[in-house]
Amino acid sequence: MTLTQLSAFETAQKVRTGEVKAIEMVQAALNQIKNVDGVSGSLEPGNLSPEEEQKVHAFIQVTEDLALSQAEKVDQMVTNGEDPGLLAGVPLSVKDIFCVEGTNTTAASKIIANFVPPYTATTVKRLTEAGALVLGKVNLDEFTFGSSNESSAFQPSTNNPWHTDFVPGGSSGGSAASVAAQEVALSLGTDTGGSIRQPAAFCGVVGLKPSYGRVSRLGLIAFASSLDCPGPLARDVRDTALMLQVMAGNDPKDSTSSTKPVDNYLAALEKDVKGLRIGLSPDYEALYYPDMESGELHSEPIQKEVHDVVMQAAEWLAKAGAEIIENVPMSNTRYGIPTYFVISRVEAASNLHRFDGVKYGYRTPENVGDLIELYRRSRAEGFGLEPKLRILMGMYVSAAEHASAYYQKALKVRSLIRNDFDQAFDRGGDYRLDALLTPTTATTAFKRKSVYGNSVLMQYSDQMTVASNHAGVPALTLPGGLDKNGLPIGIQLIGNDFREELILRIGHAYEQLTADEAWRQVRPQVLQGEVKA
Amino acid sequence: MKDYEVIIGLETHIQLNTRTKIFCSCKADSWEAAPNTNICPVCSGLPGVLPVLNAEAVRKGAILAAAMHAHINPKSYFDRKNYFYPDLPKGYQISQFDEPIGKGGYMDLPMENGETRRVRIHNLHLEEDAGKTKTEHGMRLLDFNRCGVPLVEMVTEPDLRSGDEAAQYLVRLRQLLRWIGVSEADMERGHLRCDANVSIRERGSTVLNTKTEIKNVNSIDSVRQAIGEEAKRQIELVESGGKVESFTLDWDADRGKLSKMRSKETEADYRYFREPDLLPVILTAEEVEEIHAGLPELPLARRARFEQDYQLSGYDAEILTGERSLSDYYEAAVQAYGGEAKVVANWMMNDLSRLLNDQGKTAEQLTLKPENLSEIIRMVDEGKINAATGKSLLKKVEETGKSPAAIVEEEGLGLVADSGALRAQIEAILASAPDEVANFRSGKESLLGWFVGQVMRGSGGKADPKRTREILLEMLNKH
Amino acid sequence: MTTKRISPELFNKLVGLAALELTAEESAYLFEELNHQLTSVEALSQIPLPEGIEPSLHGLDCQGLPPRLDQWRPFPNPEAIITLAPETEDGMIAVPDVKGVK
Repeated sequence: MTLTQLSAFETAQKVRTGEVKAIEMVQAALNQIKNVDGVSGSLEPGNLSPEEEQKVHAFIQVTEDLALSQAEKVDQMVTNGEDPGLLAGVPLSVKDIFCVEGTNTTAASKIIANFVPPYTATTVKRLTEAGALVLGKVNLDEFTFGSSNESSAFQPSTNNPWHTDFVPGGSSGGSAASVAAQEVALSLGTDTGGSIRQPAAFCGVVGLKPSYGRVSRLGLIAFASSLDCPGPLARDVRDTALMLQVMAGNDPKDSTSSTKPVDNYLAALEKDVKGLRIGLSPDYEALYYPDMESGELHSEPIQKEVHDVVMQAAEWLAKAGAEIIENVPMSNTRYGIPTYFVISRVEAASNLHRFDGVKYGYRTPENVGDLIELYRRSRAEGFGLEPKLRILMGMYVSAAEHASAYYQKALKVRSLIRNDFDQAFDRGGDYRLDALLTPTTATTAFKRKSVYGNSVLMQYSDQMTVASNHAGVPALTLPGGLDKNGLPIGIQLIGNDFREELILRIGHAYEQLTADEAWRQVRPQVLQGEVKA
Repeated sequence: MKDYEVIIGLETHIQLNTRTKIFCSCKADSWEAAPNTNICPVCSGLPGVLPVLNAEAVRKGAILAAAMHAHINPKSYFDRKNYFYPDLPKGYQISQFDEPIGKGGYMDLPMENGETRRVRIHNLHLEEDAGKTKTEHGMRLLDFNRCGVPLVEMVTEPDLRSGDEAAQYLVRLRQLLRWIGVSEADMERGHLRCDANVSIRERGSTVLNTKTEIKNVNSIDSVRQAIGEEAKRQIELVESGGKVESFTLDWDADRGKLSKMRSKETEADYRYFREPDLLPVILTAEEVEEIHAGLPELPLARRARFEQDYQLSGYDAEILTGERSLSDYYEAAVQAYGGEAKVVANWMMNDLSRLLNDQGKTAEQLTLKPENLSEIIRMVDEGKINAATGKSLLKKVEETGKSPAAIVEEEGLGLVADSGALRAQIEAILASAPDEVANFRSGKESLLGWFVGQVMRGSGGKADPKRTREILLEMLNKH
Repeated sequence: MTTKRISPELFNKLVGLAALELTAEESAYLFEELNHQLTSVEALSQIPLPEGIEPSLHGLDCQGLPPRLDQWRPFPNPEAIITLAPETEDGMIAVPDVKGVK
């Protein structure tokens, strides 16, 4: 097994015992990046060769020096007999929406392409203090606004390592792809409506959206503050649990960060699923979307292969002793997207106010003699289409004359969505679920340029994930199979508030049960030709 | 000309005297700091930062609400007020909107005619201050030191009726803020800022006509003058057939002139929504109770009590309650003295206030404690020292920290009341002035004062004047 | 043609309020997309709400720390913030004045 194939858990063990040096991990990761990633995303990409079209392009910036200096520190600690931390020597990529002091942080937008923060996000701090090595900043949809990575101002945007004609999903596309392509073992992503889980599903990796407030948001450039959750992407559940373990816990600099004690996630993985109640809901079997003419809500069944994989997963878990509860009503799930269109846009428009060409980032080079003109030009030239669209939407639905019909209404519908989960998880209720098992996405990855531009369709690719953001509950996605094109299918486990340990435990059991399945032996396109583990 | 009345509402911004800013750990006070040296990623609005609320700002806001007789909201919220302005680095101000910390409330203003004007409070909420901009050669230069300083915005109902009343409101508000210790309320330093809304109507009418807003009336005089000017302008305008338009005026205090800043179109839409980065501010019933219980007796109540309990004139009571530590000092001195409260008031109004001025101190900062003052007054009462000595003692105690008795003893300042010594001295004086004695005895009794003066001079001022007079009369009338 | 939820006039007003400027091409695209999205959002108006339902701000009940103590902790490097600005003068961020407003 090569070093880049090692899990984070194994890596840390080997580095801590001195069997492998952190510096070797950096070199192996840099080498892998060189082999599979191709040119990094940039504002002026030029034309790509056919060969480059086949590359992953997960990175906006490879932070070789940073990783090397962190590795040196880890190795020094090992030599000194000190504890280098739970993630000693583990290569990590960071979605380029997190501030890292002294390192360019772009949000994949021209408007802060040159921004170098003077402080570091709490998550990144905790990960590096535990010995993780930051290999670089990875690509995303501009300001996390998208589900395909294509809206990044830094092109080429990331491709799906399983098939480079397909998108990796988004917005944490660079995160998911860099983990799938074994450039790093772990990636730090964010999930506002599905931005960790959808790309993780599309790229065949594990991703967790923690409970809102479980992981600090400080240093995460905000999209929708009441929905944003930083979270881990990894190649297996144990690594996901390990990374969460390091990041989770109260941060006095984030007022919404929870004071609840952090569970021992790794220990939870030891337990089996006997007697756990796992729900299936008919409301996750179809996609609901409005007709553009009439506005009427239509439904369409989700991709059959995806549905089948979820059913098979239920069977696996039932065989292992879990109780499968069918027909759990989650009837407000279908309103997740319209509700999200309102709440996330209102918050986004406000969060983007600060990018005005005054204090940092991009300022129009034109010699404008007027401040208002400076704002308008800088924002017009600095923002891409998707941020502009979200700003306009947010402005409209929060205007005083519309706020009660849209924004206030959406907040109440959010309560309805929350109520569905409360009823499903209620210990004294009809369902008493430990987790809800659903597809992560309605379809597998779509082709590049096939959806991009249709902002409504793009948003509806989050329909299976967004409800848990509205409700604040944790949700885990993990690979469950491949479709006929060989693209990964993700299954999702949604848990009650702060019950990450339960969904990780179920996910881990599922991994063990399916370890020998044929689909697990298939490797992404960009890794084919390499020596198999 | 018709009879008009002026309708005024004031919007004040009060800087709370917390140690740190409202949402970050930078110092609240930047008065002496160079531009942009008291800032951090949070108050300068860098991407990715989050606000963390200062408990002390909440507490002081709630104390002010209690002092204004407002209802303290057990669950208040912060909202975002969205607008673009260069001194607002996030592009929104974190402020309270529909669920502020205080609701309702009022302040009673004593008026010159002896009546009381109740000024109702429309809104009392917490918010963060914006930065400062200065304009130079066509550029605006931004200093973020002030960003995030905790403010209470307090808006009155249109209950004031003249520039004088508005000025009086500010005087009383400033007194209250210092009294309850929530703000330094220094208008020159911008701790207390004021905008005034002014309209006019015919007396007797109850409609509210179009108002104008005067910005930056940041001194008591400015408020009085600016409102006076604006009321005059509106009346002249209406009298000449014009119509008052809604716009914003700027008060230039140096020139004493109003100038138009901009027309107020429709009310700007700030697209308020709950600040998702903060949780609601919860004040438990116990905390609210504690705030009410900890509230000191307020200045106007104390003034009334002083008039009642100590038989002080309105004027004296006003002066002695002008500032909290002075009134505390007074009460302590009265208590220690035990005699007539009015006597202590006289000493404080004249001699002690001179001492405070000379020393540049507040009453609580004096070395001369209320017990020292009362001891001095008692020594004068008892004839141990004369009044002049008493007065000079104030300063001596203040400067040396010794007790008045010790100083009298050391410096031999006590009055000579011993009859034997005094008699001998008087006899000698009478013997040396036979003409005056004869004149007195022949009926020129006004000479008594002259004799007293001689004795006092001879004793270096230490003779007890009362006793001197008695002995003089006895000896002069004795033949 | 899709039902237009907002007029071109309102759209242009929003662009101004958002401190943006759009090319004709951008404007045409965003106008269309915004109206499409609003068609989706219209679904909200059809949703019956139970009596007394409260708005949800964070989904779950946030249990955070109480407000912080009033302790001064200066940021060690304030000049690093100002050096990020495109233009500065005497330690202050410089921007052009607003025309037409005093």
